[in-house]
Amino acid sequence: MSEPAKILIEARDLTVGYGDRLILEQINFQVHRGEVFAILGASGAGKSTLLKHLIGLHEPMQGDVLISGESLVQAEGEERLRILRKFGVLYQGGALFGSLTAVENVRLPLDEFTDLSELAKDLIALSKLRLVGLEAAATKLPADLSGGMQKRAAIARAIVMDPCVLFLDEPSAGLDPITSAGLDALIRELARGLGITFVMVTHELASIYAVADRVVVLDPKTRRIVAEGAPLWLREHATQPWVRQFLNRGVA
Amino acid sequence: MHPDRTASLTFTGELDTVSTPVAWTALETELAGSNVSRLEVDLRQLASCDSAGLALLYYISMGRMTPGATVALAGLNPELQPLLASFSTEDFEALQEHEPVCPSFVDEVGTATWSWLTDLRQQVEFIGEVTRGVITGLLHPRQMRWKEVLRIFETAGVNALPVVSLLTFLVGMVIAFESAQPLAELGAQVFVANTLGLVMSRELGPVMAAIMLASRSGSAFAAELGTMKVNEELNALKTMGLSSVQFLVVQRVVAGILLTPVLTIFAMYAGLVGGIPVLLGLGFPLRVVLNQIEISLHFGDLAEGLSKSIVFGAIVSSVSCLRGLQTGEGPRAVGESTTRSVVSSILLIIIADVIIAAVTYNLRK
Repeated sequence: MSEPAKILIEARDLTVGYGDRLILEQINFQVHRGEVFAILGASGAGKSTLLKHLIGLHEPMQGDVLISGESLVQAEGEERLRILRKFGVLYQGGALFGSLTAVENVRLPLDEFTDLSELAKDLIALSKLRLVGLEAAATKLPADLSGGMQKRAAIARAIVMDPCVLFLDEPSAGLDPITSAGLDALIRELARGLGITFVMVTHELASIYAVADRVVVLDPKTRRIVAEGAPLWLREHATQPWVRQFLNRGVA
Repeated sequence: MHPDRTASLTFTGELDTVSTPVAWTALETELAGSNVSRLEVDLRQLASCDSAGLALLYYISMGRMTPGATVALAGLNPELQPLLASFSTEDFEALQEHEPVCPSFVDEVGTATWSWLTDLRQQVEFIGEVTRGVITGLLHPRQMRWKEVLRIFETAGVNALPVVSLLTFLVGMVIAFESAQPLAELGAQVFVANTLGLVMSRELGPVMAAIMLASRSGSAFAAELGTMKVNEELNALKTMGLSSVQFLVVQRVVAGILLTPVLTIFAMYAGLVGGIPVLLGLGFPLRVVLNQIEISLHFGDLAEGLSKSIVFGAIVSSVSCLRGLQTGEGPRAVGESTTRSVVSSILLIIIADVIIAAVTYNLRK
């Protein structure tokens, strides 16, 4: 069996924006298989915009996004769908369907994309809920789940098709520090235990220090990446003083 | 299968969402009634296995395909062990046992009655609050947000003119066509113009304008206020000490009362204009048609139509706002309140129409 490629995601000369409005330009980075990669920046730096381009929700002005060496930008039809199924996405609010129970939400991709029996789909969905610690809440509606539980259920749905990478948009948004720490622990567990690659957009420094192997920092002024590396290393050695200051917020 | 009732099963290649359903069915058929006492599953040649494959392996390992037999899995990739461990029969059985709570008939009747009575109470309270708000606004015009009234007048009224005119123009044509035949049998085809004039001014002009207002603008009122409630904007008003009725509803009700007669006048004229080409086609000169309309229409007919439209305008705008303010929680709530606003508005329009028709009939006697 051949060794899978080390680079899983690559942003190549990516320039993104809305209409004529330029948000980010010449973005280049690589995400390695199995790592937790964070995109960091102040509010308005274009983190969520970059994420939306990485997952193919918007077309970039220039450049390309490669997932396992395949271009997401140029792919069309079936080929694009095949690439899209390689990753899962956790949206800020969880984006669970309110009329479906937790287990039905997790089952949904299996219902839509596989010919598995009802029994097999239930077994898989329940196993994912157990992985995120929500097996006891399988029959609850999203409205009956807390914010943290909704995020966990959304992660279970995102990993139900066994994606090799999971994109997380502000996973800690709206969560208290304890719930947020629990979610960080889950991310670490899924990354280390199951080998899932994570790309997360956040400005929660506690989460970054807890889970991220590597970060890129976006600068809203230059619209480019200004620093890249392990978060603890960048905190001490980033060339730009504001990056060091940014990463040292709240650190005694 | 060996003579000692031991069977071995070897998996090769990929076990994924595509191959698993086929393998699952084939194995169930193969192992059904096999009377195996021990099943040895060899996974050393399995190239890859996803969650679907693991579900199959778990199902086999629990002995569900070979009841009474002991099952041994050998050679599973250690990286897949945590995933296999996440499968649980207890979770599955708990899910099977879970049945949605089905309320009894008595519960349902009780809940529906209680909900209807609560709704009625809210409507009465709301009518009182809106009436007080409108009167306060008219007595103290400076307190009224007239800019908002004008904006609503434009979006719900002026912008609706083309569609209301087109609709009633077409309805006018239909009435002319449909009444021409029976009146021709009586030798009274010229009275199509009279019928059209009366129907459009007394009934269809105001009703069609109100129905269009309910479906086009009333639904927008409900959706707008519903979204504001979901976004907690109404709570923000409350904590600022502002009444949502005074701040949001009164403007819409005043605009609704003012714009519906305007829409109705356009609807009446468009309906009459729609019938004229049909009458011309039947061979009546334009002068005769206009003369018949003039003879048949009286100021009382127009006044009846316009007074109806004022009532309809007040009903549509206030009911739509009430439904918007009653919006619940969840993603379907705004859609539900929009639907309720249109249904309630149209129902109340027809009820009010019947009452007004009965009253005016007795007054004309």
